[in-house]
Amino acid sequence: MNAAGRGLGGTSLLAWRNLSHDRARFVVTLVGVLFAVLLMGVELGLLLGFARTTSGMVDHTQADLWITPAGTTNVDIAGRLDERRRFEALAVPGVAAVDALMLQFAFWRKPDGGTESVSMIGYNLASGQGRPWNLVQGRVEDLQQDDAVIIDTLYAAKLGVAALGQTVEINNQRARVVGFTEGIRTFTQSPYVFTTHRNAQKFTFLRPDQTTYLLVRLVPGADVDTVRDALQARLGRVDVWRSADFARAAQRYWLVTTGAGSALLLAALLGLVVGIVIVGQTLYATTVDRLPEYATLRAMGAPNRYLYAVILKQAAISAVLGFAGGMLLVGLVVLGGEGSTVAVAMPAGLVGVLALLTLFMCMLGALISIRRITRIDPTSVFQ
Amino acid sequence: MSAVLSLREVGVTYGRGATAFQALHGISLDIEPGEMTLMLGPSGSGKTSLLQVMGCLLRASRGSVRLFGQDLHAGLTAEALAALRLQHIGFVFQHYNLFPTLKAWENVAVALDIKALPRAQQHAQALALLDRLGLADRAGHYPSELSGGQKQRVAIARAMAGAPRVLLADEPTAALDGKTGQGVAATLHELAHRDGVAVVVVSHDPRVEPFGDRVLHLEDGRLVDDRRPPRSSA
Repeated sequence: MNAAGRGLGGTSLLAWRNLSHDRARFVVTLVGVLFAVLLMGVELGLLLGFARTTSGMVDHTQADLWITPAGTTNVDIAGRLDERRRFEALAVPGVAAVDALMLQFAFWRKPDGGTESVSMIGYNLASGQGRPWNLVQGRVEDLQQDDAVIIDTLYAAKLGVAALGQTVEINNQRARVVGFTEGIRTFTQSPYVFTTHRNAQKFTFLRPDQTTYLLVRLVPGADVDTVRDALQARLGRVDVWRSADFARAAQRYWLVTTGAGSALLLAALLGLVVGIVIVGQTLYATTVDRLPEYATLRAMGAPNRYLYAVILKQAAISAVLGFAGGMLLVGLVVLGGEGSTVAVAMPAGLVGVLALLTLFMCMLGALISIRRITRIDPTSVFQ
Repeated sequence: MSAVLSLREVGVTYGRGATAFQALHGISLDIEPGEMTLMLGPSGSGKTSLLQVMGCLLRASRGSVRLFGQDLHAGLTAEALAALRLQHIGFVFQHYNLFPTLKAWENVAVALDIKALPRAQQHAQALALLDRLGLADRAGHYPSELSGGQKQRVAIARAMAGAPRVLLADEPTAALDGKTGQGVAATLHELAHRDGVAVVVVSHDPRVEPFGDRVLHLEDGRLVDDRRPPRSSA
């Protein structure tokens, strides 16, 4: 305590000593902040992780525009498109390339029995639009084989696959695992199974002229909105999206319409409220204990802002230490989540948001103490 | 010598209506620099109320109060009064009112910090004040590690931080034994005479009386005696 207080002065010193003098209460404050940071961090990290997962397929293509069946709400659930419409799209000025991408649900029969639902992704091997990312075993070129598929290590156990080369059945057709990706999650919990467009048509019994999406790349310098409008006008009963818009639509669909996002936000809000209550209660108790000292300061001529500074610095110290401890635990949760199908994302931006939320939480908790100090009577020092 | 504090027909009433209590009645006096004024009187005579009025802590209900010529009228905000206290007045309390979590020198340094003295100078000035009061070797101790007399001298050092022109002390020797109490009274007397500070001491303690250059006597909220003893023993 003394060592930490050395070098501080004035309001900072008073704030630190007020907190550290009553260690039990200080620990309660820090645990409260830490718990709130943990709750907010994990819930917001989950929200961001889910958001990234829901739009992962869109975000990992290089398409400028997506042509989807009319009424499509998200990338995981869609109807079918006539693949020949890609030629109509190619005729629109500004369009450089159009590639078909298939995404259809299928049944995966595990080698030792049992069936799982999977999302078959069929892409054009030559263009690479929709190719698997984070490949850790095998080669995408191996997908040229008729029965070849690539799955993610996160779902390998769920799909009954232990090693490359294992064979399974997809919709009663033989398939062979030729590669593993790492960290490609699905929000639907039907793991992505990558293969060529032709193989995917075969596995899901689509006709050779059917696909799910058409991915458009523009010629350099072409205006995205102009081309999108032209494609919409030319193709009629389809939806044409900018990639970013389609990604956001997928996130909105899964996180808003399913209520998953609301639940996570609610839990994060709960963490914030818990933190405000704990910080407010413990800071207030500390303030009430030290009212004679605040009255003395006031009698000595300290302006209100000096007294407020003591309280706010107590809140700030609690925020910084609680945030550090909380983020340490959040970091452990993030690390733990890397090997699971549920990702807790924690980019630097979210760390910054959490830091601001923690500071906001502690400052709000300090308000009740400030309100009490505002009414302090300096003549009470004579009682 | 011009008065640092001038009170004219000052009255203080607590409460309103039937429960109103008049603590001070028509007090008029001037407090001069460089002398130690004692305020004596039985409990409830209005000594502390008068000290609070002088210290810009309590607004007079009637009459006028001037501090260095500035009228402490009712229109002054609490912040303005605090600023006047900060600039001109030091306080010494009966129970010391030191900050228990701060060391002796830090207690003094806080007063300097409020006055916005640069942090680099606070340590040196706090030590100098404690040294003057014979507490250099206790500067690194917490109040709980000091005797009553040492605590009160730390409190005096804190009150003197920033060199106020007025020092108001409320029963500064009440919690001290005889010899220690005399030592504290002598210190206050020295501050008045050596530094030219206007020292006002509220006290019940007869041991303090010989140190007073001037003795005010209050009864029932009225100033009933104002005299200068022929010769202070201090």
